[in-house]
Amino acid sequence: MAQSKILLPVVGIAGLLMLTGLIIGPVGAALFQGSAKEAFLPVPEVHLAPQTVFHLGGFAVTNTLLSAWLTTIVVLLLFVGGTRKMQVVPARFQNVIEIFIEALYGFMAGVVGERFARSFFPVLATIFIFVAFNAWIALLPIYPTVGFFAEGEHHITTHLLRSAGTDINMPLALAIISFVFVEAWGLKVHKVPYLRDFFRFGGIFNGIIKMKPGAVFYGAIDAFVGLLELISHFIRLLSFTFRLFGNMLAGEIVLFMVTFLVIFIAPLAFYFLEILVGGVQALIFTGLTLVFGLMAVTQHDEGHEEHAAEGAH
Amino acid sequence: MLLAPLLAEETGIGALGIDVGSLIVYLINFGVLLAVLYFFAYKRVLGMLDQRSGRIKESLEEADRVREESQQQQASMQQALNEGRQEGQRVLVEARQMAERYREDQQASARAEAEAFKESARDEIRQERDAALEQVRRQFAILAVTAAERIISRSLDADAHKDLIDEVLTQGGALSSSEGSSGG
Repeated sequence: MAQSKILLPVVGIAGLLMLTGLIIGPVGAALFQGSAKEAFLPVPEVHLAPQTVFHLGGFAVTNTLLSAWLTTIVVLLLFVGGTRKMQVVPARFQNVIEIFIEALYGFMAGVVGERFARSFFPVLATIFIFVAFNAWIALLPIYPTVGFFAEGEHHITTHLLRSAGTDINMPLALAIISFVFVEAWGLKVHKVPYLRDFFRFGGIFNGIIKMKPGAVFYGAIDAFVGLLELISHFIRLLSFTFRLFGNMLAGEIVLFMVTFLVIFIAPLAFYFLEILVGGVQALIFTGLTLVFGLMAVTQHDEGHEEHAAEGAH
Repeated sequence: MLLAPLLAEETGIGALGIDVGSLIVYLINFGVLLAVLYFFAYKRVLGMLDQRSGRIKESLEEADRVREESQQQQASMQQALNEGRQEGQRVLVEARQMAERYREDQQASARAEAEAFKESARDEIRQERDAALEQVRRQFAILAVTAAERIISRSLDADAHKDLIDEVLTQGGALSSSEGSSGG
């Protein structure tokens, strides 16, 4: 009873707002004024590359970089501030940070076990926190509303802040970090034999020495598999980069477009979606790095045994 | 519209905005974030979690230990109680046995005493009787002598004589019959 009494006016106001948005937006402008250019909001511009806000001694500081720094500062304030006075019986905010970190650690420990979770955790947690908070902070209203006008223009042409995920350099940097750490973990656990998985020429040499064409053929296949393995590790760089970049950029464009088209209410749904996407992308990035790390430190041995077994045939 | 810059000759993949400078700045940024978070957040939180789990483990072990101890204590107490009860039982049984034995002893000695008393009584009676008999016999002899004296001192009246003897004999018979009944 009470709920329906509140629900009805809320839905009514929301509907009215949406209708107003549609009328003053491009659809209404096109219908009543004959041109979408007359819409309440300017037509959004889609930039693939980030825009330079200012130069710092010859280095172009872009709006995405500023956003990354903002994210970094916020994250540091939250996490360092939240854990400054650690107590065994946690205070409220410390508890929130602890729960967050404990959940992340639990997730990793669940996948790779306590032993590796300890060494994987710092890098992976930082990736997760950076990706997620970067995406979430980018949903703040200052992002689309603060910027600079180009000369002769009446709308923002260069935003002061732009989600760092939409700058391909950020996902690429994270992908490189993920790649470097995965390979480093593999090397640390297995030392030089780790590289043997990629350069499998032993079969070919054996075949040539024993003068067996069949063995040479299998050896060649084995070498090819090794090559594929090597390439697949580098392909991860691309998949990591473009997955995050694509999702973040698409989210930004969707929000721009929906805000431009409907103005009120409807973008809310997409804001919720983007909150979800930020978390999910962070989880995917972290989870995949975790799994690759696990593969690098564990399954290697089994692969070698298989390999040895194949070589015995 | 989106594909145009990608396909354009001079922009191409560069339209994505890949920039080595930015890339390096992002890498450095991540490194700084990682280092600061590692030293000022993860270490603290994980250390605290370890400390807490250690403390919980410790207190659990402590609780286990205390419970075990109390169980042991209870068991030993129970054992002591049982021992005490058994000891009491034993003492009781012993006391009862002792009492029984004492009673039997007492009974036996009482019986023996009674027997001895009876025996002595009987002896006394016998002696008394023998003495009495002896006395009777002596008196009888005296009586006989007296009778004889009388016979002798009196005349030799045959009838008188006969009466006297009868009299004495009757007295004697009465005595002997009374002696016979008491001797039985």
